[in-house]
Parts: sequence; C-alpha cells; structure tokens
Amino acid sequence: MGKVRSVGAWLMSVGLLSAAGCQSGTSKDPLLTVYLPVSAKIKGMDPAFANDLYSGREISYVYEGLVQYHYLKRPYVLEPSLAASMPKISSDRKTLTFAIRKGVLFHDDPCFTKSDGKGRELVAEDFVYTIKRIADPRIMSTGWWVYDDRIEGLNDWRAEASKADITDYSKPVVGLKAVDRYTLEIKLTRPSTQFLFYLAMPSGWVVPKESVDTYGSDFARSPVGTGPFVYSRKESNLGSKLVYYKNPTYHHVTYPTEGAPGDREAGLLEDAGKALPMIDKLVTEVHVEQQPMWLNFMSGKLDWLEIPKDNFEQAIGPNKDLVSELKVKGMQLVKSTEFDLTHISFNLQDPILGKSKELRQAMSLAYNRIPLIDLFYNGRAIPAQGPIPPGLNGYDPKSKNPYGEYHIAKAKDLLTKAGYPGGQGLPVFEYASQATSTDRQMAEYFASSMAQIGIKIRTVSYTWPEFISGVNNRKHQIFGWAWQADYPDAENFLQMFYSKNGPPGPNDSNYNNPEIDQMYEQALTLPDGPIRTGIYKGMTRKITEDAPWIFGVHRMKFQLTQRWIKNFKDHAFEHSRAKYLRVATEMKTDKK
Amino acid sequence: MLFAIGRRVLNVIPILLGVSGIVFVLFNGVGGDPTYQMLGRHASAQQIEELRHELGLDQPKWKQFVLYLKQVATFDFGRSYKTKQNIGEMIRNGMGPSLSLAVPAFLATLLCALTIALVAAYSRGSWLDRGLSICCVMGMSISALVYILFGQKFLAYEWGWFPISGYDSQFPQMLGYIALPALIWIVVSLGADVRYFRAALLDEVTQDYVRTARAKGLSEPWIFFKHILKNAMIPVITYVVIEIPFLMMGSFLLENFFGIPGLGSITVEALTDSDFPVLKAMVTLFSLLFVFGQLLTDILYTVVDPRVRIS
Repeated sequence: MGKVRSVGAWLMSVGLLSAAGCQSGTSKDPLLTVYLPVSAKIKGMDPAFANDLYSGREISYVYEGLVQYHYLKRPYVLEPSLAASMPKISSDRKTLTFAIRKGVLFHDDPCFTKSDGKGRELVAEDFVYTIKRIADPRIMSTGWWVYDDRIEGLNDWRAEASKADITDYSKPVVGLKAVDRYTLEIKLTRPSTQFLFYLAMPSGWVVPKESVDTYGSDFARSPVGTGPFVYSRKESNLGSKLVYYKNPTYHHVTYPTEGAPGDREAGLLEDAGKALPMIDKLVTEVHVEQQPMWLNFMSGKLDWLEIPKDNFEQAIGPNKDLVSELKVKGMQLVKSTEFDLTHISFNLQDPILGKSKELRQAMSLAYNRIPLIDLFYNGRAIPAQGPIPPGLNGYDPKSKNPYGEYHIAKAKDLLTKAGYPGGQGLPVFEYASQATSTDRQMAEYFASSMAQIGIKIRTVSYTWPEFISGVNNRKHQIFGWAWQADYPDAENFLQMFYSKNGPPGPNDSNYNNPEIDQMYEQALTLPDGPIRTGIYKGMTRKITEDAPWIFGVHRMKFQLTQRWIKNFKDHAFEHSRAKYLRVATEMKTDKK
Repeated sequence: MLFAIGRRVLNVIPILLGVSGIVFVLFNGVGGDPTYQMLGRHASAQQIEELRHELGLDQPKWKQFVLYLKQVATFDFGRSYKTKQNIGEMIRNGMGPSLSLAVPAFLATLLCALTIALVAAYSRGSWLDRGLSICCVMGMSISALVYILFGQKFLAYEWGWFPISGYDSQFPQMLGYIALPALIWIVVSLGADVRYFRAALLDEVTQDYVRTARAKGLSEPWIFFKHILKNAMIPVITYVVIEIPFLMMGSFLLENFFGIPGLGSITVEALTDSDFPVLKAMVTLFSLLFVFGQLLTDILYTVVDPRVRIS
C-alpha cells in the first residue's frame, strides 16, 4: 500500500498549502522522542494526590524527592536523589539528617517572579514546605498516611491548622527543620525502617511554594519541579496527551555504573556514566481502549507497551515467548512478577465467617487458582502462598500455604469439622464484586468453586464507589480485590492484618489477632535483618492458618519495547524510568 | 409570539427543578460515598470525616439540595472531585473536540441521508429503493464497535489511510484525526437516518397537494424538490434539532477509541468515578440544551410552515 497516500495526511494538508500543514503531528517531533501509552486519563500532576500508578508515573518525570530507587540493582535499594548522600541516622534511629544537593534548580517558570522566570535553587526549606503541604488539612492530600503520626509535632501542627481559618505554614514543626540552607532534619516519633521508602513516594517529591501560590487551584495542571523533564502545559491535555521536554537545567545525574547480575550482558550498562536524560522529548498518549494502543505500538508509533489481555495471544506463543513475527521486528519482551496480590477477603465481623476458621480454610481449599490463572490472566500469574509476594524479605519460596492447594476432599472434611457438613446450615453468602465484566466473571468462578463443597454464593456487583463504601462500612460479607506494593518491604502487605488499620484503613477483613499486632509492632521498629525477616515469616504462617483471606495470585507483567529503545528494565517502584531510556536513532530510522 | 417564547423559556424552570431533584436523589441514593474513592485505601476515619466536611457531604440533605440548586442557577458547579479542575473549564475544553467531530460528521450524515432518501423515495418500489433499504437495514444491524474495530485495524493500521487514533486541536492537523471517526459516525448513522427521511418523504407523496400538482402536469422531479421536500422539512427539522444536545455531549465510544478528549468520555468517566459535581453539570447542561432545542424546533416550524403558530 506504499503508493496510497494517507487520507489523514491529505486531510491535514487541506486548507494549508504550506509544507507545515502537510506534516503529521509525530513527524514534527525530534528523533530522540519517546512515546509511551497510559491506559487511563491522568487526574492531575500534583504529587499530593498521586495515589494511582498512572499519575505517579507522569508526575515522576517532573518532580523528584530526597531519595530514589536504584534503576538496575535488585533487590531494590534506595540511593540519594536530591539529597547529596543517604541521611545520617541518629543512634536512636529517630533523627534523620539530610544534606541537600547544592545547585539544583527548579524548572524555569513564570511563578519565579523574583528571578524573572528563571528557576531558583532548591533549598532545605522546600522540603519542610512540601511535607507541611501534605499535612495541610485543607489540601486533603491522599499521601497524608505517609506522615501521619510519624514526624514529631506534625500531627499537632495539622490539628492546629484544622482549627484555624487559614493554614499558617510559618508555624514550626518540632520534628521538621531546615537547619540551614542545605540541611534538613526530620525527627520521627519512633524508629521506622520504612520511612526512607516513604520519601521516595510522590508525597515526598518536592514542590516549590511559588508555584503552589501562583497557580492555586490550577496547580495540578502546572507542575514545576526539579525533575528530568519539563511539562509542556500548552501542548498537553490530561485526557489525551502529555508532552514533556528535556530539562535544560537538570542537575548532573548520570546513568548507573553498576547493576544486577546479567545487566551488563543484557546491554543495560552500555550507557554507564552518561548524563541523563538521553532523550529530548517524551510524549505520553492516553489510550483508554486496548485496540488502538496495540495497533499504535505495532505500527511503531508507541515505544513501549504492557501487552493488553486481548492481544496476548497475538504476541506470546504457547511457550510464553514472543511470536516469531514480533521477534523479526526486533521487539523485546520483558517479563516480571509484580509486587502485588489478589485476594478474596472475608469480613470477620460476620457472625458466621468470623467465627469459624475451619469454614474459611475449607473455602480456600475449594478455590482452584490454576484454571483461574489461565482464564483471567492468560497464564500471567503465579498462585500466592501467603500475603508476601516473591522478591520481598519474608517471602519463603519453600513455604506452602496449607490451604492454598486445591483439595475438595480436605475442604469437605474441614467443612464438616466446622459444623456445616456439605454446606448444611450455612446461609447463602453474598460475594461483592466490582461491576466490570472481568470482576463479575471472577465472582461467578468463585461461586462455582464454592458450589463444589455445597456452599451457596450470591454474587452482587457494585460500582467502584459503592463497592469501596461497602468495604469501609463493613457491609460486604466476601469480596475480591487486590493490593499493589507501595514500597519494597513486606510490611506494606502485612499492615493489612494489623487490627488498628481496620476499615477505612487497609485491614479490610477486620482481622484482629493480638499476637499478629504485637509481632507487627515489633517488626516496625526493627531494622532490616534476619530478626525482622523471621518475624515476617512467623506472621505469614499465623495469617495463612487463620485464613482471613483466600490468597489469590501474584500477577506478572509482559512488556514489549521497540527494537530502538535501549536501557529498558522493569522497575516496580521507580516511576521515572523514561529518564534512563535511549533511542537508537539508526534503528528507528531504519524502516526494515 | 415573543410572549409565547418567553413563557416557554419560563417553563424551563420547573423542568430543571424536576431534573435536579431526580439527579440529586439518584446520586445521593445509589452513588456510593465519593470520599472513600478520593482518598484511597490508606485513608483514616478522621481524613474521611474532614473530606466529607470539606465537600459539604456532612450537611443535611436539604441543605445539599439547596446548594445544588444554587449551582444550577449560576451554572457554577465548582471543581471536579477527581481532577480538581474547574468544571466550567472542563466543559469548555471538552466541547471543542466533541463538536469538531460531531458537527462535520452530523452535517455530512444529514446531507448524505437526505440525498439517498430522496433517491429512494423518488424511485420507490424499484430495485434501487429495495437495494437501498436492504443496505440501510444491514448498516443499522451492525454494532458501531464493529465499524470502529474494522476501521482502526484495516483503514488505519493495515492500509495506512488514517491515523489510528489521536487528536490535534490545531487546524488543519485536526482534520486528519477526525476523518476516520467521522466516517464511522456517518456509516453508523446513515441507515436509520435514510429510513426515517424516506418515510417522511413518502408520507408527503400521498398528500392531496401532490395529486393536484401531478394533475396540473408538473414534472415528477419538480414536485419532489419544489413541493415534497419543502413539506417534509418539519420532521427533518425535528430530527436535526433533537440531535443538537447529543452532538454537544459528544460520542463516548468514538472519543474513547480515538483518543479525542471530548465531553462524551468526561461524562462517562464522571459516572464511573462518582464525580458528582461533573455529573450534575453535565446533566444540567444536557437538560438545558434539550429544552431549548425543543423551543428552537417550534420556532423553526413557524419559519418552514407559516400555518404553524406558537401559542
């Protein structure tokens, strides 16, 4: 079809005889442009509200925090970002002192009126302001949980701000101090191993006060940070396309010189020591529907993609490898297990489900995860043996959940032991699902699994707000959903079994085991090491025995990149990976 | 006539009140609590209470309804729960892309449908008429989704005639992006429109004035274009004006598949996210457009047919 002129291009040229009018949108872009898809509209560019993966990723191109994850090393480790080095930690592990990197500039923006729009230098006070902003009750940040009751005096500051007519940011917080221009001191209420992880999350990314003051309620569409890319407000629309340009004043950040075993062989260290970012422009295209996203990738208009469920068989063969058609095109497949967990929660405040551990264990044994993985995940998942996904401390590959296998005979025995032989005497339980077709199908799968041991399930689907309201108001009896890790520590999963985190917190099953609470509290104060890992393993054993959930699966990601995209490595937590990417221009221009 | 129009405009008030009442009851009764969704799974009970207070959801229902009526009266619905964006700005931003697709597609559909309907009605009962009817029924029987998937896969991806998806607000770049969705719009709408217009034209064919015209020896094309077409305009105008609010609200399916940031996708997203302020604004806007569209229809009747009077 080479000679058939594109109708689209022809229409673009209609009305304008100039050459510019004949160019498509993408052909105007510089060669070193990376095009990435996102499967949901971006709700905003304010780190205070980046509680979803998609917004977090976009915001990470513009903003940075004190620390970040090393791009290549595994297991995941933190490294300084806007901090000059990792913090000095006091002997009681409650005071963290950060030296701030000197000479880091915010993006040039009209909000910096004192410097005629030139971005000013980042100082320690910016972090004090950023954390106070997250705590400000008028902002209603979704990231407040990160700091809630963790920094000395911050909750008092927040309480005072709640009572006042306006929030006074000049009021000091005992545990949050800019000691000098480049030194930040944070005093914690108790030692916390996870706190540094929190600082690598969006609620730890620094925003300049001038920008917040200037743009006010429009701040979420006017991001100004220190990050590798500058957001183009003029060219972007959060519902369709976000455009970023290389930050010309970006502080000196280089591509890592060390990696995990195998990275060098995979060519991931070829650019070691080179200044970042290595691309001139970054475009994120919103593709709510899978088909146009897939076709755009296949035609080379997108550079990366997570293979959509409906196109999985077109891309991946029976041996879970790329089909030859895509291999010939030089596309690269990257497989990884996600730090997540799907689960079916029992509401333990239910008089029947909460009372009988054997009943819950029986239901878990009757739930066959293997066909589930094929039916709903194209085989892209592994059965979960407990609350901790592989790759996190506390995960034991040898440990098997005694109720995680599919064993109908055992399930029936346990049901009899619970006093409900063949399901007799049990009411019809309600399984609440979300209203999507996949969720409804999963609900039916659960109901048919339970029918095998005589337990009757009525499936009811709800819109997302209704569903989550039902969980938080403790109305649903049984319900299914998933948890994705916020940071690489098993504590992030085990917190869902801490009784004080009950709804509306993450302990959605209302699980209450004083022994687990004690172990959790003990682990919180311990540094990473064998003692803490031992506690995590102990908690896992007790939790799987109590079966407050049916542990589902850990999902896998199958990602594709075009042959000209270099340095791509999956990272579960480092959102701003675009800054590490390189475009092999000679490959991109080679149409073969 | 002006008095009558003024009275019709005033009739909008009770209609809007009714619509507002229904919307309020629906969203407060079955919509779920938006605060849980806004704050996520890490939210504390205190935060939820604070947010409920901030959004006014802890106020008595009647107070919330009065506030809603005030918003309807001033058409100031505040900010989206989800994006924190000013809703007026969201509508202004979304209307352009929606109309840039809907208006040309609608006009082209109208023109094509009227032409084909005239041909079909003129040659009524012939093989051509029957062939066109069969094509229309076939076109109507196929889901819009099929046309979209086919168009994107073959016309755009395989044959490269159009961009697969995307949008550019700049003219003329925009034309390339709206060409395929507009073509699909036309194909999807054409069948039903042709049949409707053909029926309207054939209704006129049996009227007395047509027999009189024939008796006077006027040629068949003259009767069709001079007399029948003009008299068939009332159902055509009704159809066109009723469509206007739908055009402004955008096409959810086409906008989603082609990445057009219009009002259709904004409305559906607001529905799934329980973004009440956006939903309230969109429902109110639609009601207003619909009511004023009806009024405009009545006024246009008087232009087309002088016998019609607004009383």
